[in-house]
Amino acid sequence: MSAMKILVCIKPVPDSDALIRIAPDGKSIQTDPLTPLRMNRYDELALEQALLIRDAFPDTRIGGISVGPKRFETVLKRALGMGADHGIHICTDTESYLTPAVTAAWIAAAVRSRNFDLILAGVMSEDGLHGQVGPLVAEHLSLPCTTAVVCARITPGKAAASVERVPAEGLRDLLELSLPAVLTIQGGTQKPRYPSLSNILRAKGQDLEIIAAASLGLPETLQQTVRFKYPQKIRAGRFLEGSPQHKAQELLRTLKEKSFLA
Amino acid sequence: MTRPIVVIAEHLEGKLRPATDELIAFALELRQTMPAPIQVLILGNDPENMAHLIATKTGLDVIGIQESNLARYNGDLYKNILATLLAELNPAYVCIAHTPTGMDFAPGLAHRLGAVCITGVESVYEDQGCVLFTRAFYNGKILADICAETETAVLTVTPGFFKPPVADPAGPGRIEIRKTSCIQARLRTLETRKAPAQKSEFAQAAVIVSAGRGIGKKENLALIFKLAGLFPRSAVAGSRWVCDAGWLEHRRQVGLTGAVVSPKLYIACGISGSVQHLAGMRESGFIVAVNSDPHAAIFNIADISIVEDLNIFIPALIEAHRQKT
Repeated sequence: MSAMKILVCIKPVPDSDALIRIAPDGKSIQTDPLTPLRMNRYDELALEQALLIRDAFPDTRIGGISVGPKRFETVLKRALGMGADHGIHICTDTESYLTPAVTAAWIAAAVRSRNFDLILAGVMSEDGLHGQVGPLVAEHLSLPCTTAVVCARITPGKAAASVERVPAEGLRDLLELSLPAVLTIQGGTQKPRYPSLSNILRAKGQDLEIIAAASLGLPETLQQTVRFKYPQKIRAGRFLEGSPQHKAQELLRTLKEKSFLA
Repeated sequence: MTRPIVVIAEHLEGKLRPATDELIAFALELRQTMPAPIQVLILGNDPENMAHLIATKTGLDVIGIQESNLARYNGDLYKNILATLLAELNPAYVCIAHTPTGMDFAPGLAHRLGAVCITGVESVYEDQGCVLFTRAFYNGKILADICAETETAVLTVTPGFFKPPVADPAGPGRIEIRKTSCIQARLRTLETRKAPAQKSEFAQAAVIVSAGRGIGKKENLALIFKLAGLFPRSAVAGSRWVCDAGWLEHRRQVGLTGAVVSPKLYIACGISGSVQHLAGMRESGFIVAVNSDPHAAIFNIADISIVEDLNIFIPALIEAHRQKT
């Protein structure tokens, strides 16, 4: 097998969901455009997994791909800073929510002819929580797919991957897949690395590949969000007021009243 | 003929998983919106006993698919077998557990059926002639009501939201066992390993102090352990993210894919309150939540809510306790 090509699907998510609100019409979610974006943490683990494979097989080439508006570029640049070789941005002209069906169809359309040996994605995104993009890309490209992977090893001679996944708490399934294949990553043995100075400098001088989403067709959304709503309160949830010290005193008093503390 | 609601039973090592009962409860609720037969499917290398169990307990019809290569779960085989079988059954809905196993094959199966896949369904209701499925976004801070626009919809149902029905069937359902012949897959499950048996401290703990991503960095866990140290019979737990990140051992994980706990007191520190986490601790006696985000979903389930930076609040609490004793 010649040099491996790995694609990592990377979703930028708001760094904090503190300022996320439902729009007055109830039909959309408003995110504060000033809230910085960061890499979905499961995608960060996926990228780290790709970088570990390249550490073992230095010929490996890693591409990162994101779907969304122009400001998503910062996160793809970070992927380059962490060590990805190439960034592909499927650029949309809207901030609105994309269903996983649409995101996956666009990613598949963009990379269909590029013959990646391995496509990695996070097990889910932290904002949408769908867990679908990886498995759907696999279907579009007719590739085998395994999800919730915590460890992946490549056997280049055999064009195969040996992976461990978590089928239920306390269990590990050991699987073997033929490559090319799609894996969604849930965890790893290594903390994702920080961008290195040399990579950041390289990334600065490097252009991302921009593909207009419109050029990839208009996939069906398959679903309609009728409304967004806030969850109901299940318990009273009395908010304590005052300074941190005052709140600490108040909590301590309650915990003693309830005999949790002597 | 009315198109059926299909339930895919989940099992592990020859035993039905509790999620299967909840799927059936969900299917029964879904049937309130449209009269339809419920058809249960179970796949495995020896599904007959489990098929009988379901048919007897629920009175529903069960098809068992016997495939010798399914001694262990195999996502490729599940998708291949189910895509063919469901094309024949032409269901309106396919109900799958929102578990690592269900989530492994549900999206791909939906794609093959030309169906939408709605994952993490927490409730179902009818509104103006449309069947709506509610699922969580942003760690449970926001919910969305979603309407499927495809002829068939594949749903993954979050455990913990649908109570299994009281078993009172008029009689057992029909059972049909179909044999497939050694279908080949592009992946093989070689073995299933049990993680080394680790003693969980949760059973004995009256108080659980739990850390979420909001603690910021691994080093801040020291504060969490200090806080737990104030209480006799206490244990430290973590959210899925904290355990996946390796900040805490997986045996300490509370939630859907971890332990389900119900201590007398649960202190959630920097926990956003994802559905995944709430499923593991909602039955706790008294819940205190500390989070710097006043809109964190955890506050919906807390008895006492504290909006503070943990790095300031926990030392203040420990100091206040020290002064009092």
